[in-house]
Order: sequence, then structure tokens, then C-alpha cells
Amino acid sequence: MTNRTRYFMAGSAAVLAIGLGTGLVAYYTGGFQAVSASPVANELRYVPADASVVAYADVTAIMNSELRGRLKEAMPAHEPGQQEFERQTGIDIERDIDYVVVAVAPGSEPTSPLVVARGRFNDSLLETVAREHGGTVEQYHGKRLVSAPAGAAVASPEAGTAVQVPHGAHQVVLAFLETGLIAVGDGPAVKKAIDAQASAQSITSNNEMMELVRDIGGTNNVWAVGRFDVLASQAKLPDQILSKMPAVKWFAAAGHINGGISGSLRAEARDDQAAEALRDVVRGVLALARLQAQSDPRSAGLVDSLRLSGTGKTVALSFIVPAEILQMLPKAAGQQ
Amino acid sequence: MTNEPAAHRPGPAAAPPVLASSLRIFDLSLGEMLWSRRTIFMLLVVAAPVVIAAFLRLLVALGAPILDTHETTQNGVRQSIRMTGPAIFGLMIWVFYLRFTVPVLGVFYGTALMADEVEDKTITYLFTRPIRRAAVLLGKYLAYLACTIFVVLPSVMLVYLLIVPMQGSLGGSFIDLVKDLALLALGLAVYGALFGFIGTKFKRPLLIGLIFIFGWEQAALAFPGYLKRFTVAYYLQALVPHAMPSDNTLSLIQGIFRESPPLTSSLLWLAVIWVVFLALAGWVVERREYVLEQ
Repeated sequence: MTNRTRYFMAGSAAVLAIGLGTGLVAYYTGGFQAVSASPVANELRYVPADASVVAYADVTAIMNSELRGRLKEAMPAHEPGQQEFERQTGIDIERDIDYVVVAVAPGSEPTSPLVVARGRFNDSLLETVAREHGGTVEQYHGKRLVSAPAGAAVASPEAGTAVQVPHGAHQVVLAFLETGLIAVGDGPAVKKAIDAQASAQSITSNNEMMELVRDIGGTNNVWAVGRFDVLASQAKLPDQILSKMPAVKWFAAAGHINGGISGSLRAEARDDQAAEALRDVVRGVLALARLQAQSDPRSAGLVDSLRLSGTGKTVALSFIVPAEILQMLPKAAGQQ
Repeated sequence: MTNEPAAHRPGPAAAPPVLASSLRIFDLSLGEMLWSRRTIFMLLVVAAPVVIAAFLRLLVALGAPILDTHETTQNGVRQSIRMTGPAIFGLMIWVFYLRFTVPVLGVFYGTALMADEVEDKTITYLFTRPIRRAAVLLGKYLAYLACTIFVVLPSVMLVYLLIVPMQGSLGGSFIDLVKDLALLALGLAVYGALFGFIGTKFKRPLLIGLIFIFGWEQAALAFPGYLKRFTVAYYLQALVPHAMPSDNTLSLIQGIFRESPPLTSSLLWLAVIWVVFLALAGWVVERREYVLEQ
């Protein structure tokens, strides 16, 4: 073998080795994300790969939306609760939380969802509050976990001051993942999230789910993506109902909230036939809704905005709830 | 005349083992194969996807809306078409490598394993060596494998590094990449064995090879029935981790009648084709009398 041949082979082997090495490192660290990756890519790395549902809410956008402003004017019910929550934890929900990612893990036992929140948090104050209520602090893979034992009282923005964690419920754990990033959930769920990030076995390695997230995450400030078949199998539904349910593998729901709400529902069926059957069902429902709308002009705008689309395995339904319809809600609430 | 006792006289040298002989032929043939005019053709074939990938990456970096969602309405149904890096990579694996590069390189190199030596009238020098003729074929086959694998796979790697990060994740597509590399190497091995046999057995092997890959395989895959089982592509395409593109009418028809045999069945049949045709090629070389044209 001549030197020229040797150099060529070594060069080719080096390109292969560098490429495979880069891919392998990316695979194990979950790194090297897309050039235009989802803005929540970092948070999604804490969501375990087997999560059956992942949801996201842009809290800042929702809190600043016209719709929220109108609802706040009409129903200022929880103001004292929020103020007490802020006094205890230092968190102003309207300003300090940027967005939250919620994940539900599959399993036969019902578990509380994992909530990962990005924002501005006073870690030491949160830890002190937890300790005052009987919480314990531990380290897990370099992250601080504050556990509130069952029976302890924890702050709640809805209730105003504090609520009891019921005996027999899973232990609530608050984890400080990174600066400005916390996770709340039951102990095993939070530890699994930390493991997922450390071992790179997170939802970001699930290409199918990430593709859906990228599709709907770009323009919407609320979305949820999940495995419909996993949820249906866990729901313990009777066989008669299960056999009549559409063969849907994935579902995605997304919405953009501002003055009105525009949204879309999307289902990825197992095959083209199942998708066509689902499209037929939706077409039937839409026809019925249009008939009903003829006698109720208030809902005509909403029904007219319903659009069925999708080809192959995809079935999508988009809708717009105009600001005019939403303006009626506070009035209706006031009348009641 | 010497009166040396028979016990001290050197007897006929024992032929070295087939593997050792093959490796010696491999060593001799690799350089010849790599720096032949045929390699210029191979470089052009494998460089095209890399150039296209780099061009796409450049366009996206400059802000061209290639990866944006495009909405079209067909028969009243709104369709959203969106390309991502991993999807484009899968498409390139199908179109450039699996359907073209692998079979074409198999034909050009496989049919020439022995034919080149016959054409250059140098086969006599190889066959007069004290090694088995099958070892010559095996050595040349190994050189073909090394030559093609070390040119094709780095090209795939460059395409992966350029394309996949566009709205995709290198880590997320890594397993698919490993599968792609393995199946392309397997394809080169199987096509090489098949066309190695055709090259040793038939006259005009290049023509037969081109008819096989662009005629027989394409037609058999486009018809329903069991004819597709007599192609290599049928088993190889079952291993591809990416969705099959329907970029032209023939692909569309092939997609309609596409059946995917189970993974184990595909691997088994590819292994059978590989072993049988490599053994047949060695058997033919051992028995065939090569008459060099003067």
C-alpha cells in the first residue's frame, strides 16, 4: 500500500470517526439542538423520554393578553390569594414566571404532573418557606431538592395562604434545576426529570414528538402534545368504548391567546385509513354544528371558523374564537 | 547433477492459506482501484450530495424560506408541507445513495473485479502465482469494499453534519445515521458480490449489471406480486429508517406496491445473496479458462 493510499484511508477514517463521535456525544448529552430549536428546548431536556403528554404555556404572553385583561376586570376574585402567595414566596405570578412546561408520565398509578417553570425566583426565600412548613432539603445529582412531607402546608396562589398536602398523597418536591429554573412535582417524577437531563434520555431524543413540538410551538403561546394511544390505554376504559375509539397515535393542541383565541387540534392516526375515518367523523360533527349555528347567530362566527385539513395520517381542525364572542363571557358571568 | 539426498531437496512450496493470499492481493489492488479513472467517477457521484447539502445550508443561513411551512390546497383540502433537516437527510439517503450510488458503484466496481485484469492482459501474472484463484477474487472484492466504503460513508457523514442540524437534532438522528451507514455498507457488500459473479461469468457484464439495476429492479418493485423478491433492493429498502419519497411516477407506483419484509428476513436474505454469489464468483474463477485476446 502506498503512502498516498494510506493517507487517503486515514483521512476517510478520520471523517467517519469525527462524525460518529459528534453524533454519539450529541446522542448521549442531548445537545447540539436544532439551528432554530424550540425556545423551550432547554426545559424539554428535563422531560423524561417516556412522557405521555407535554404541555407548554407562555405565562407572560397570557398574562399580558387583552383577554386576560378583560377577564381580570370582570372577575378579580383571586387578587388577595395572589398577593398572599407573593408575600410568602416572593413570586408574582404575573411578572416573575415567563413560561411553564408540564409533563405527565405514563404509568398505572396516577401521579402528579411535573411542572418546570422558567422565571425569576428567590431560591433562598422558597427554601426557607419550605423549611418553615416542615420541608427537608437534600442534594440529588448536584441539584437542591426541597421536600414537603404529606400533611404539611404549602403556599397556593388559588387558596390565598396555605393548603394542606393530604396524607397519603405523593410527597411534593421543589427542585432548583438551574438559575431561574425550578421543577415541582412528586419526588420520583422530579428525580426522573433530573436523571433525564443528566443521561440525555429526555423527550428531545424523541424525533416524532419534537417534530410536532416544532410544528406547533413556533407561533402559539399554549400547546400540548401527547401520545393518545398511551393515554387511552391508561384510562381503563371499557373494551366497548376502546374498540370504537379512533386509532390515533399522537395528538397536538395549540392555541394563540390575545384578544381572541385561535387554535388548532391535530391528530396523527396510525394509518391513512384510520385518519380518513376520523376525518369523516369530524366532517359529520361540523355539519351538525353548522345546522345548529343557523338558529344561533352568536355561535355562527365560531362554527364558520372551523377548518378541517390534513392528508395522509394527519387530521387537523383549526378554529378561531373571535374577541367579540369572548367579550360576551364576562357579561354572561356578571348576569349569573 | 547433484547427489543431494531426496530428504534435503526442496519440495514444491505449499500454497499459502486463502486468507493470507487474499490480504496480499487486497494490499496490491487497493491502491490500483483507488487511484483509477473509475474513482474520479465515484468521487463525482458521492460529492454531488455533499455540494447540494452545503448549498442548502448556505441558503438557509442566508435566510431563504426553504424550511418554512408551505400551505397548499388540493381538492379542497389544505395541506401543510414542512421540511426539516432530518427529513431532507432521509430523502437524500434514498434518492442519492440507496437508489443510485450503491447499486451503480456495485455495478462499476463489481463487474470489473476480474474483467480489468483480463482487459489489461495481466490476469496471467496473478494466476501463475502459487495461490488459489478464488483468493485473487476475494482480495479484489475486499479492496472494492474498502475503496467504496471509505469514499461513500464519509460523504454520508458530511451530509449528516451539514443537513440534520437545520430544524433537527444531531443526537435525535444519530441512531438513524448508524442504521444508514450500516445498510449502505451492507448494500455495497451484497451488490459487489452479485456483480462480482456477473463479472466473472458473463461477457458484457457492465451492460447486464446496468439492465439489472435500472431495468429489472425498478420494474419488479413497481409490480405487485413476488417478483420483487428476486431483487436486492427489496430487502435493502426494508432496512431504511426513513420514509420512502414519492418524487416521481415510478417511485409513487413503487410506494403503492411496497411491501416491507421483516427485518430478520431481510437481513437473512441479504446474507444469503451475499454468501451465495461470492461463493459462486469464486467457483467460476477457479474453473473458468481465461483466453486472452491477442
